[in-house]
Amino acid sequence: MAAKPEQQLSIIGRRQPRVDGFDKVTGRSEFTDDIRLPGMLYGKILRSSQPHARIARIDTSRAEALPRVKAVVTNRDAPDLMFSEHQHVLAQDVVRYVGEEVAAVAAVDLLTAEEALELIEVEYEPLPNVTTVRQALKNDAPCLHERAPGNIGPTMDQDWGDPDRGFAESDRIIEDEFRTPMQHNTLAELHVALADFSNPEKLHLYTPTQGAPLYQMELARGFGLAESQVRIVYRNIGGAFTGRGRPKPHHFVAALLSRKAGRPVKIKATADEEFIMFRASGETLYKFRTGVTHDGTIKALEADITFDAGGHDEWAMILWLPSIYLNWLYKPVGVRYKGRFVFTNTVPKGSHHGGIMGRMSAGWQQHITRVAEVLGMDPAELQLKNAVDPGYESPDGSVFASCGLKECIETVVERSDWRNKHGKLPKYRGIGIGIGAQASGSKGADNDTSAAMVKIAADGVVTLYTGIPDMGQGSHTVMCMIAAEVLGTEPEKIRVVQGDSDITPFDWGAFAQRGTFTTGNAVKAACEDAREQLAVIAGRELDEDPASLMFRHGRVQSASDPDKVMSFGEVAAKTLHSVEGRFVMGRGFFNSPKPFGALAFSFGAQIAEVEVDPETGAVAVLKVWAAHDIGRAINRLAVEGQLDGQVFSGMSQVLYEECKVEDGLILNPSRLEYKLPRTYELPAVDYSLVETIDPYGPFGAKEVGEGPIVVSMSAVAAAVQNAVGALVPEIPMTPWRIKRMLRATADGSTDVGKHWSEGLE
Amino acid sequence: MHLPDHEFVKPATLADSLALLRSASGEIKLIAGGTDVVYNMRGRLFQPDILLSVRDLAELQGVADTTAGGIRIGAGIRLTDLEHEPRVAAYPALVTAGRAVASRHVRNMATLGGNLCLDTRCWYTNQTAEWRQAKGPCLKNGVAVCHAIKSASVCVALNASDIAPALIALNADITLANVDGERRLPLTDFYTDDGVTHTIRDADELLVAIDLPAPSGRTVFIKETARKGNDFSYAVIAAGGEVAGQRVTGLRIVLGCLTTRPLSLQEPVRIIETRGLTDEAIDVAAAAARDELGPLTNLYTPAAYKSSLARSLVRQALRELRDATP
Repeated sequence: MAAKPEQQLSIIGRRQPRVDGFDKVTGRSEFTDDIRLPGMLYGKILRSSQPHARIARIDTSRAEALPRVKAVVTNRDAPDLMFSEHQHVLAQDVVRYVGEEVAAVAAVDLLTAEEALELIEVEYEPLPNVTTVRQALKNDAPCLHERAPGNIGPTMDQDWGDPDRGFAESDRIIEDEFRTPMQHNTLAELHVALADFSNPEKLHLYTPTQGAPLYQMELARGFGLAESQVRIVYRNIGGAFTGRGRPKPHHFVAALLSRKAGRPVKIKATADEEFIMFRASGETLYKFRTGVTHDGTIKALEADITFDAGGHDEWAMILWLPSIYLNWLYKPVGVRYKGRFVFTNTVPKGSHHGGIMGRMSAGWQQHITRVAEVLGMDPAELQLKNAVDPGYESPDGSVFASCGLKECIETVVERSDWRNKHGKLPKYRGIGIGIGAQASGSKGADNDTSAAMVKIAADGVVTLYTGIPDMGQGSHTVMCMIAAEVLGTEPEKIRVVQGDSDITPFDWGAFAQRGTFTTGNAVKAACEDAREQLAVIAGRELDEDPASLMFRHGRVQSASDPDKVMSFGEVAAKTLHSVEGRFVMGRGFFNSPKPFGALAFSFGAQIAEVEVDPETGAVAVLKVWAAHDIGRAINRLAVEGQLDGQVFSGMSQVLYEECKVEDGLILNPSRLEYKLPRTYELPAVDYSLVETIDPYGPFGAKEVGEGPIVVSMSAVAAAVQNAVGALVPEIPMTPWRIKRMLRATADGSTDVGKHWSEGLE
Repeated sequence: MHLPDHEFVKPATLADSLALLRSASGEIKLIAGGTDVVYNMRGRLFQPDILLSVRDLAELQGVADTTAGGIRIGAGIRLTDLEHEPRVAAYPALVTAGRAVASRHVRNMATLGGNLCLDTRCWYTNQTAEWRQAKGPCLKNGVAVCHAIKSASVCVALNASDIAPALIALNADITLANVDGERRLPLTDFYTDDGVTHTIRDADELLVAIDLPAPSGRTVFIKETARKGNDFSYAVIAAGGEVAGQRVTGLRIVLGCLTTRPLSLQEPVRIIETRGLTDEAIDVAAAAARDELGPLTNLYTPAAYKSSLARSLVRQALRELRDATP
């Protein structure tokens, strides 16, 4: 095939409105809760009201006797059904958090299900509980799990390079502490699962997901089925932000109820229940340590992080995620990382938008800013001096084939007028810089495969089969643009078939910012395969070498003789109706050749300017300058949307969001009391794209799905740090914490973090 | 969560409504716009036998001039209509406070009377019934337990009305009616320090009207929230008085949403009326505000912040009162 010269790109890089936009804004798009199957029942889960208790007795007889109730389940119905290694789907003897799944009912309508729930009698024998990390780590603290003495769960302790030598070569070693609270993603679409297990040989599960395979695997494992006996169906998805990566207990419960009732069962979260179902990120305590020479060369980095796992360790990946940030930004001699899970009687924890890295980065980049201040250096200069370059191999073995980090830093410094602002702003104004890196896809415990298929009908209509979900990030629009570019047609002429694991080819899904990069490469390969099939007949018709044909603007034409041309549809029709009768079906897949880790890395820098109101302590983000190396912008409109959304969500996590937890109970489980900013509080964002054209990405593209938020969080945090004159040791930086900072720094103290204790409220 | 079973009645006249309030057996809950009542019923905070709708009662509508040169506002006026009512425009603090409530959608339903009667709020109680089980019942459910202040013997839930402080600063009176007749009292006397029975309204009474004296002097209103709109307040302040340079007479300073009732400050008023609106006197007055707030809770914001916010709002309001162009 003729490689398309880059300058001839006609679709990639344009501002493409979403292919699903019209249906979304006109209310036509179908979501899981819109699906109603014949005979469908409504399920409700009875949750523990106790943070820690032994279940002495459960009596479901009154619920079972209620007319219109079709199934009631407790652990007795499925004593071996495990959610994770040590965790039952329905609590067996002991509940370990308020909200733990204890029993469930399915009834013909929701009101009956709610009524039945109230008729289930559970007798608890309360056990002593611990609901904060600090409590759990006390010597005499009650223990949640026999397997975890001292409430210490899984740990990780790893060095990359030679951190001891790095610290030894340092002139200064700077240490800081930081804390992030429990936070929640508040997805637009509440959690919902519709299971049809009425045929015990096949489980159909309709649910929003980031990817079908993990759901298939885990449900198959749980119910003793082969993976092909589990079908995952999804429609449009109202956000995921790490929250729909793998099935949650309610998916298993819906299936269990359906199997028992012999009818489909839907379970949908209520607004407050969502705060339990989600498994959001928990309280986390950080210690940062950086070794640096007098001239500002970073020699060694260390982070020691304690995570509140909640009542169960559901998601071990959280443990190592932050370590990648220590490896990917600077060029230290060595990196040391320690992580540990601590069990508490609170909801099991997962992640939040920005992974675990965004939250850490809000503290870590303040720490790096403080390193610069200790050295008397400009923080932007320190970043620039130490930033990684193209071709760099990090201590953890990642190689940056393309890298525009330095250009990103230079761009935001220039555009924000940093040099005339930093250190020169009026009192209560602040400016801060944050940088970040993110992988495009990642190979870890399993492979990193995406597959795609296209078929081209005789009228030239292209149907793309993909297993990548669109949770709102615009992935389907990007896939249509890639397909249209390769085939020389328009994105609007591509139909996407998605959302059914019985039909669509394998795709791990939308994890680890892999959609554009990995699925994009698979779609590109599938379309190139189809184009090759079309070129055979087109070449014969036009009497041209198939390899020299150009597919552009809905036409197939000779590169040398513009008069030799056919329409795209005509070629498809001639191919089908040729003597051979070929029907065009292209297939492609992509899997990184690396055995572990990622192939491409994106980089970014942001500068935020903020103003603190000394009277009320409120922080206003005035403007954010963002520069990101994303390889290539496939859809510039979507890239800007991603930047807006991530600046907004990053600002929200740093300044607003916090689950107020007392005795294991979330006190603000609603969108009224879990304070999120409104969209009109989004600051002005100045976008700059640094297009480094990655050698492995489709048309050179890397990710923009999660890289920016990590940077936003650090830039906003560093700007507030600059405005109040000291590292802010905790997020969210609420008005009361800012007031406290202002009091603490009134005497010129710049080191208030060490004296920051719990109990402010 | 579905609404608990109840009977819904909507009498055609005020007289019929008052008669029902007196005669009905079982618990009656009044509903006007329903923006607070319905939400709280879903959470099983209220489980009345009867929901009595006063939303469309003609007697509660309209704004009229009074012989005293002021206006009488029907308690049933929708907040959106309040904003646009020409007679109300003479009371800018009331307009600002009305606009500060929730969102346009809520204000299209919510009424002035409903806002003044808003149930007190507490994050131990204002949850679904299932959620409340974890902490167990409290004073709001007739059990002598308070989760917010362990030693409290009366409920310390917070007043939620943005408008009440503005009206109190405007020296508003209210009129309560029952089948026997009416009583009129200053709005400031309507509220109590008990979050359970947080107004002095008797079970058979209905808030029918709000009376404002003739507009005079300057007024200010400031609302502090977590975000720029559609939210309950961390705190509000309203102030009013006859200002001449730094001299001020007839000063009222009212803080809302920090405690169980809107609080009319006394000592800060005395300080400013004696010493004038100087920067120094304003700082002294602001510092004095804390003493009158009584015990503060950690509900929604930490107690320490509530007290700092009260100081800061008093300072801001007094400066605005002084510096506003007349």
